[in-house]
Amino acid sequence: MFKKILIANRGEIALRVIRACRELGIKTIAIHSEVDANALHVRAAEERVCVGPADDALSYRNIPNVLSAAEITGAEAIHPGYGFLAENAHFAEVCESIGVKFIGPTSENIATMGDKAKAREIMVRRGIPVLPGSPGELRSEQDALNAAQKIGFPVIIKASAGGGGRGMRVANKEDELVRAFHAAQTEAKSTFGNESVYLERYFLEPRHIEVQILADERGRVVSLGERDCSIQRRYQKLVEETPSPVVDDRLRREMGRTAVEAVKAAHYRNAGTVEFLLDKDNHFYFMEVNARIQVEHPVTEMVTGIDLIKEQIRIAAGMPLAYRQQDIQITGHSFECRINAECPEKFTPCPGVVTCYRPPGGPGVRVDSAMESQATVVSNYDSLIAKLITHGQNREEAMARMRRALDEFVIEGIKTTIPLHRRIFNDAEFQKGRVSTGFLERFLTNGSG
Amino acid sequence: MSKRIRTEVRKGRGGLDRMSGSSAELTVNTGDLMLQAEMQKEIHQLVELLKQHNLTEVELERHGVRIRLRRETASTAPVLTVAEPARASQVVSVPQPQTPATGETAGMVTIRSPIVGTFYRAPAADADPYVEEGDSVKKGQVLCIVEAMKLMNEIESEVDGRIVSILAESTKPVEYGQPLFLIDPAPAT
Repeated sequence: MFKKILIANRGEIALRVIRACRELGIKTIAIHSEVDANALHVRAAEERVCVGPADDALSYRNIPNVLSAAEITGAEAIHPGYGFLAENAHFAEVCESIGVKFIGPTSENIATMGDKAKAREIMVRRGIPVLPGSPGELRSEQDALNAAQKIGFPVIIKASAGGGGRGMRVANKEDELVRAFHAAQTEAKSTFGNESVYLERYFLEPRHIEVQILADERGRVVSLGERDCSIQRRYQKLVEETPSPVVDDRLRREMGRTAVEAVKAAHYRNAGTVEFLLDKDNHFYFMEVNARIQVEHPVTEMVTGIDLIKEQIRIAAGMPLAYRQQDIQITGHSFECRINAECPEKFTPCPGVVTCYRPPGGPGVRVDSAMESQATVVSNYDSLIAKLITHGQNREEAMARMRRALDEFVIEGIKTTIPLHRRIFNDAEFQKGRVSTGFLERFLTNGSG
Repeated sequence: MSKRIRTEVRKGRGGLDRMSGSSAELTVNTGDLMLQAEMQKEIHQLVELLKQHNLTEVELERHGVRIRLRRETASTAPVLTVAEPARASQVVSVPQPQTPATGETAGMVTIRSPIVGTFYRAPAADADPYVEEGDSVKKGQVLCIVEAMKLMNEIESEVDGRIVSILAESTKPVEYGQPLFLIDPAPAT
């Protein structure tokens, strides 16, 4: 087992990893930018290294400085968290080459899964249902037209190197296609530096269902249930839950088996998430593999009782999976609300000083956050300041706990998305579990789902 | 309801046990000037206690004010938390007068490490250091090496001037922004 791990991240996820290390008796090294010198994640670690100025390109994503920090502190492994360098194949590769273990998938896994078109191809060859789409990259307008005619409109054109909702354009009819194709390419080029795009059938109101998997270094894989992440705004998740209200046991087993199959097809290692799209007829289609631990991992932890970060560390240390598929039990129901420091009307980031921070407590309530009173929310990083997670014996109890916890949660001095979460959890359609990915946009426009 | 006010005592980058060229800067956030002065004295006494007895944490409570000084690791600045009963807080910077001011004083230039690595004063183990205290240096002159991942990075002076003090210890790790040299710049001609 590792003696020292460097956490190449900040905020709540850095604290999360530090906590897991503490429980495993592993010493921790926090890195930070100059503006994070007093941050909670830094004070929580045994050692600290300043790696650069506020700009994360020069600090948290500064590979030479991060690796140098590992070198001078004697770190044996690096946990990248999510975002920043977590899916940087080059970083994972350099770690491997200097003998520091990257806690996550291999650099090849990251490179392959990061190329959405390539990942689809692997799944198609394995016989895994994928979203009807172009076999690979679209090289021309004609390519796009041919693919769209075969698949049927509406279609969506997406960046191969993309994510986070950027580099995507919908075309409802043939005469919209050429413009969508060029627009998607342009945005892909400017956002990801790579104009490669592919095309998929576009579903109007799908549900976003993702399956958590763990794979050890011997190639043994287990699935740990699904998460329903349909509450999204502009492809950014706001609320996640597990299990999904529309997935029954049979569908769960099928999706779980398919996710395991997908991961095996890619020789994937460590923690990962297989994303599916579920249409109105409960057909599911492979979308992509997220080659990292995800923001919403806590809800899976709540229903399985398994600490995913510790499992990541154990797998990276070469230990075999301690669970067989039949050992994985899903108990009860869990929700997560992502609390962002954002102005509720326009969703613009709302940095500032948190004058009072009082998180909720009581049974079935968990808060993952590095926020505290008198801390400053800086404008340089993403606006997620806390994850509020609840667990209950069933969906109703988990919801009731979330409503109670949202009411108890005090964050003063800045604006947050707590009022929006309260409205979501008080919405009748949401309470019935009848929501798809279009829900939130409609909810925000009309004031109801 | 008591209000938590954060105060920091920075001891440069050398830590409490490495006093070479370190300075203390004290910022106290409180609206009460008298309380500031008293707290300063108290805080210095606590710092001395910590050093003398090689303690990790010292706490003092008096008249509803609690001062806690905690040393985190040998290579970090200790963090001091002061819990005070509710008061309107104003930010008042009180520069630390007692220890010799080897931190940033008016006009001095601090050369800071632009990378993370290991600081070396000389180009090789058996060679002479690039510079000594008191040396005159020119802008662009190599002052030291910071080695990162087996690459030797030469750190150059940003100004013409004289080396007042050397703030880091050779062969020890340095972080981004860590002060390495204090230079008294030559007057502009």
